[in-house]
Amino acid sequence: MGQQIESALRQSIHRIVLVLVSFLPGILAFLLALIVFTLIGWALSALLRRLLTAVRFDERLASREFPGAPAVIADWSPSSSPTLLAARVTFWVCVLAGIAIGISAFDASYAADSRYSVFLLPYVAHLTGAILILVAGTLLARFLARTVLIGAVNAQLHYARFLSLGVKWLVLVLTAAMALDHLQIGGAIVELAFGILFGGIVLTLALAIGLGSRDLVSRSIEKTMEKPTTPRPTEVPPLTETEPPPRPRLRHF
Amino acid sequence: MSSTAITADATLPDAQPSPTSASRSVAEVLVCLPAIAADALPTVLEAIASAFPGEAVLVASSDPPANASDWPSLELIPYSNARTGVGWVLAVGDYAAAAHLAVERDARAVILLGDDTAPIDAHLLRSLADSVRTKNIDLVLPRFTLGPNDALVNSGLLYPLSRALFGADIHFPLPIDAALSTRLAQRLATSTQRLMALNQGSSLLWPVSEAAAAGLSVREIPAADIAPPAPPQDDFNALFATVAVSLFADIDAKASFWQRARGLPKRPSGQASPPPIAAIEASSEIHSMIETFHLAQDNLQEVWSLVLPPQSRLALKKLSELSPDAFVMEPDLWARIVYDFTLAFHLRTLNRNHLLGAMTPLYLAWVASHLRTVSDDPGRAARAVEITASAFETEKSYIVSRWRWPDRFNP
Repeated sequence: MGQQIESALRQSIHRIVLVLVSFLPGILAFLLALIVFTLIGWALSALLRRLLTAVRFDERLASREFPGAPAVIADWSPSSSPTLLAARVTFWVCVLAGIAIGISAFDASYAADSRYSVFLLPYVAHLTGAILILVAGTLLARFLARTVLIGAVNAQLHYARFLSLGVKWLVLVLTAAMALDHLQIGGAIVELAFGILFGGIVLTLALAIGLGSRDLVSRSIEKTMEKPTTPRPTEVPPLTETEPPPRPRLRHF
Repeated sequence: MSSTAITADATLPDAQPSPTSASRSVAEVLVCLPAIAADALPTVLEAIASAFPGEAVLVASSDPPANASDWPSLELIPYSNARTGVGWVLAVGDYAAAAHLAVERDARAVILLGDDTAPIDAHLLRSLADSVRTKNIDLVLPRFTLGPNDALVNSGLLYPLSRALFGADIHFPLPIDAALSTRLAQRLATSTQRLMALNQGSSLLWPVSEAAAAGLSVREIPAADIAPPAPPQDDFNALFATVAVSLFADIDAKASFWQRARGLPKRPSGQASPPPIAAIEASSEIHSMIETFHLAQDNLQEVWSLVLPPQSRLALKKLSELSPDAFVMEPDLWARIVYDFTLAFHLRTLNRNHLLGAMTPLYLAWVASHLRTVSDDPGRAARAVEITASAFETEKSYIVSRWRWPDRFNP
């Protein structure tokens, strides 16, 4: 009995070690490809930066007659330098190429009939896509939430934070649903849950804004209704009590 | 280049020396007019002719009138570069057009008039030109008459920053009218060339900092009883962001200059003590601005924490606890806040539109405090502006330190 257990355990450990050993060349190939391409990217980036600095690329781009284009490029560039932007793009393209080639090498290190490569590789691609969607969605949610928050505060809306949170969660829920759909997880349940959540958030926001802006809307309607009641020129304006003199008008500019 | 000369007989033969060529050789002053309605132009030309009696003057106009011979001392010429017609204040396109003509015509003094609807003051025109010609000043700007509640962005932001960083005691650094020397015109022709190539003629330009960075002299002369024109658009937030972005970008571009530059000499100590707070109740306008500040204090902490150091945030927290009738933002706190936002603009700490949006409630808090201090009194307003500007000068070492070592101030 003991010997049988020992034998079964040995066989299990042997199988695990075999799987690990079969994985190692693939991982090594992946890391090698990544390191080599990172080094190539670094070298290319440094070379490009020196070259563009030598030919004064930034100044030339600024003096070309592309209305607005250099300003847009400079606005998105680190430290307003298109040269730096080009160098960084080159570096990251090489790193991404390294990852792609590493995955191919990882795939090639398996036997053709390996069941891992059949399911794993497409899923890795989906996983990468889902991660990118999540990252982009999170960044967009933060940006939009901040824009709404600042705009609402400057418009003196008391529910500014609530509005900002609503927008943030709208985008996050949309992002999560897209990522799960991309990973083919959940299927119809995700779609249904997304519809309920999204609709719920929109309804909540609509109710909150409607209720919160009730005074604003009623004041606006009152103003519209009061407009025709201004005294006609023939009418004598009523005498008023001694009012204090009006304050000087405020001018910011 | 075609020119519209004001001559007695426009059909003179080429062989004879024409009045045009004579006036081209002697005209020292070039007056650049904005786009003016045809019926208003004669009045303007009359004012220019009366400002310079018996003197040949070049007048650049986008649409010279047909009856130009009514003013024999004036030579009307069209612009070689069209002005931008931004209105309100002078923009890159205005300076580029004037500088181009000045260099081309070798004018000693260039008077650049903005799109101001107020009638042109002949005395002011004369003073502007004489300051450039006889006193060798490179940039002369009019100092408008301000009411206690006028031009608050100017008083709280533009003037103090311009004075502290560029050492220029100019109350309107974003001019509506200006007089330039040939040297400054040449420099502006170069600096505006790139922006014009980028089709950014409507961008704002800061001639005071340009002149200061080039080591040229700047002066202002009083424009008695003339109020600064108001901007056409009503959207304060958009206008504030436009002006502040342009100012911060200019400060960013000239960082190497202002970090070395010396400030103005110290003023007499009589100006140093802050004016007592007037015992007035906060008006509804002040209440509204304080309300915006309170809202921002409750909601924008996350954004402010990226820009402001803990000391400033603590001071803002204490400020938010004050009642509207005791609301006072100290000038040194306001100066440090502005410097912090200037640095954040430089470092791109967050999106620049967000940055300026997050600064607006703080500016409104300063306005509320300023209005309470001023209490509708022009004398108190002038003192308060002076004290604010002095605080910016005192705190200049703060921005210089933060600019060099930005992380030292944040835990």
